[in-house]
Amino acid sequence: MKKGLQWKLILTLAVTALAIFLFFPPKDKIKLGLDLKGGIHLVLQVMTEDAVTIETDTEIARLQEQLKKKNITTKAIIKGDVGKFTVQGLGVDQEAGLRTVLDDSFQEWDYSFLGETVSLQMKDPAVRYLKEQAVTQALETIRNRVDTFGVSEPMIQRQGMAGDRIVIELPGIEDPERVKNLIKTTAILEWKLVRAGPAPDEAALLASTGGTVPEDAQVAKGDPNREPGFYLLDRVATVSGKDLRTVRRSADEWNSPAVSFSLNPEGGRRFEKATGENIGKQIAIVLDNKVISAPRVESVIPAATGGIIRGRFTPEEAEDLVVVLKAGSLPAGIRYLEERTIGPSLGADSVRQGLLSFLVAIVTVMSFMIVYYQLSGLNAIAALILNIVILFGALAYFHAALTLPGIAGIILSVGMAVDANVLIFERIKEEKALGKGILNSIATGFSRAFSAIFDSNLTTIISAVFLFQFGTGPIKGYATTLIIGLVANLFTAVFVSRLIFDVTVPKSAKKLSI
Amino acid sequence: MQFFKTPHIQFLKYKYIALAVTALIVLAGALNIIFGKGLKLGVDFGEGTLIRVMLKNRVSVGDIRSELNSVGLGDSVIQETGKEGREFQIRTMEVISTKEGPGLESHEKQANAVIEALRGDDGRAEEAAGQRDLNRIERRTLAALLETQFPGQGEGLADKVIDHRTSVGICSDFAELSASGVSPEVVSFLKDKTYLGKLTVLSRETVGPQVGKDLRQRATRAIIWSLIGMLVYIALRFKLANGVSAIFTLTQDVLITLSIYSFTNREINLPIIAGLLTIVGFSINDTIVIFDRIRENQKSLRKMPLEDVMNLSLNQMLGRTIITSGTVFLTVMALFLFGGKVINDFAFVMLIGTIEGIYSTVYLSCPVVLFWQKLFKTGKGGRR
Repeated sequence: MKKGLQWKLILTLAVTALAIFLFFPPKDKIKLGLDLKGGIHLVLQVMTEDAVTIETDTEIARLQEQLKKKNITTKAIIKGDVGKFTVQGLGVDQEAGLRTVLDDSFQEWDYSFLGETVSLQMKDPAVRYLKEQAVTQALETIRNRVDTFGVSEPMIQRQGMAGDRIVIELPGIEDPERVKNLIKTTAILEWKLVRAGPAPDEAALLASTGGTVPEDAQVAKGDPNREPGFYLLDRVATVSGKDLRTVRRSADEWNSPAVSFSLNPEGGRRFEKATGENIGKQIAIVLDNKVISAPRVESVIPAATGGIIRGRFTPEEAEDLVVVLKAGSLPAGIRYLEERTIGPSLGADSVRQGLLSFLVAIVTVMSFMIVYYQLSGLNAIAALILNIVILFGALAYFHAALTLPGIAGIILSVGMAVDANVLIFERIKEEKALGKGILNSIATGFSRAFSAIFDSNLTTIISAVFLFQFGTGPIKGYATTLIIGLVANLFTAVFVSRLIFDVTVPKSAKKLSI
Repeated sequence: MQFFKTPHIQFLKYKYIALAVTALIVLAGALNIIFGKGLKLGVDFGEGTLIRVMLKNRVSVGDIRSELNSVGLGDSVIQETGKEGREFQIRTMEVISTKEGPGLESHEKQANAVIEALRGDDGRAEEAAGQRDLNRIERRTLAALLETQFPGQGEGLADKVIDHRTSVGICSDFAELSASGVSPEVVSFLKDKTYLGKLTVLSRETVGPQVGKDLRQRATRAIIWSLIGMLVYIALRFKLANGVSAIFTLTQDVLITLSIYSFTNREINLPIIAGLLTIVGFSINDTIVIFDRIRENQKSLRKMPLEDVMNLSLNQMLGRTIITSGTVFLTVMALFLFGGKVINDFAFVMLIGTIEGIYSTVYLSCPVVLFWQKLFKTGKGGRR
């Protein structure tokens, strides 16, 4: 054997061994995409303006406090668009005082005076910062929730031009509705004293207060599945989710699912005081502005004891409440933009059928190659198998998931691999027909076919690179397998296939099985 | 073995007929798309919701439609996708697109309405009696339930039951659980604590209008850039005329495929885009192989007119064209027959594309080069 040949052989074997090593065992190394494995794919948008609105509310409250302190009188403070509000009916001669307040402690705001009205607008950097914070926090919270819930290999990422989109991929979820709700819940939990209710409608509720809602109170609806009706509650919460120290899933005295909690010292003291002052009255447990239960206070609850939340939960609901309370609340609302749920059995079906059709296709193509090209067909098959082995090795190396469009990419690259061999073999036949010797025919066949193979593969690789660069998920998956497959093809069809001829066809050959 | 001796067919004699045939098919497709049934955009592009369900018992499309009628969604497209009248695909057609509004939420409500309507009263009584739906229950919850009766074995048993459910899609009878290796005691316990709901949701897909528009734009941009990339490369390696011809050929491949596709009841979704791209890949491959041969023949046959060189090259490569396209056709046929419902549309597009690809390579790629060179009188060569 020639020396150059030995090195080529070693290189080929090394590449083969490396590829096999990379994707073995395939069950663990080849990641399947959600469309094959089953799972849930969500794209959601963080309503970042919520965060600005909440901040505006806080700032208005802070301004009111300061105005009171400085004895500056105004008629009203009115909220405008997102991040804007106006102070109206400013008292005479108080402009200077207000200016000092604004300059000293409201530096995040632009303001302009117009007669007795002052318009305030949050500065752009502040707005940007708040929005950015909202997305980061939402991402963090969702990650916490998913982790606490327990999903293996979750993918949670930011996406989109404005950076306010979050993509979530959770493989192998069996109850997608549950996970969706788990992620979407804002999870603001509050305990508020009940002034009146439950009443069947708002009018009946407000009968005792003369039809209007007092300034320090609010109307809350009961969760229709748990505590239907309308309630009149204190505006200010006694304790809230922020005061929680521990939460865990438990059961109440009738063994129905419930959530027990304990409070931090500060919250515990407030809870003790409130329960002590309101024995016999109801205290509402409000989750995301809906009353989930309104137990009657029977005795003082000491600071260290904590308590229990009951709300006609199913076991899953109780578990999920624990998860969201542990992970914290979302800083802003979120909205689903895209939702794809693939059940595990559909995914298993796709894998089974995809594998079956792939095998049928490969076996058909290989049989054809053997029948048509005989022993040289075996050469083509070896090259084809090596091509697929390298492809899977590379997929495993890049941690790229195999998806349905990815299979399409494999089909195109297998097709082009076969084509490369067909081009070469047909050319060898042509050269033989011209009366050239066997070795000469092989050499010319390869060198003449090379430019066509190179140009066609490279053109397709170029287009695939653009698809990878600009395309979204499925198109990217297609481009990935295609690029890898075609690069491997240039190696296997041209280099390896030639090597096999060089090794197997003796110098004195008079005939070639092709 | 040799199927094809190099034939002597005057392919280029038929160039006008070929162009006319292409124009005719594309025109028919265009008319159908604009005035007729048109191309249906799939859920991927923000139009409606796609739900796949599997039922415990056999029903007909009519049964499903009448249940959907009761919630005002009777105009949904309902297709039977599996064997035995138990698997169906439901596609709500109503496009809810508000400018800034809760587009997806409305789609979601619709999807929920469909599932609720199909489920009907099924399982209400059982749920009220504290039983759980074994066809919906989660692995962990089932494990916890089994743990109460069979301490230490809950997880293993739940795995067996759920794996069985995953492999069959939906359990229709408690008896079949015994076959999956679960002891009779466990089966009778499950019979007591759970019931078999009549429906399971295999998949549901909803894409909001914003993301749909996004996906459309990005897919378009990706395709345009990849076309430009190919044009530039071919123009550099061959001549501008070849680049133009290659782009023309693959554009008409896509147009003809879309035209034929528009006469079927199938939808355009992202896998179809992948299929079209694959057709483009094969088409460009075929075209380049021909151009390469012409480039080579021109070197040795300098005196021969370009049109004759083209004819010779096409004839020399005919065997290869048919063998390659034939193997691809076989591959795609395997996908079409065995690939299952998810891959079926993709395989269908590829079937049209491969047949059509042979025609376009043989009859279209060369005439366009001729026309372009006549138009701009850029000499007779196809080689730089």
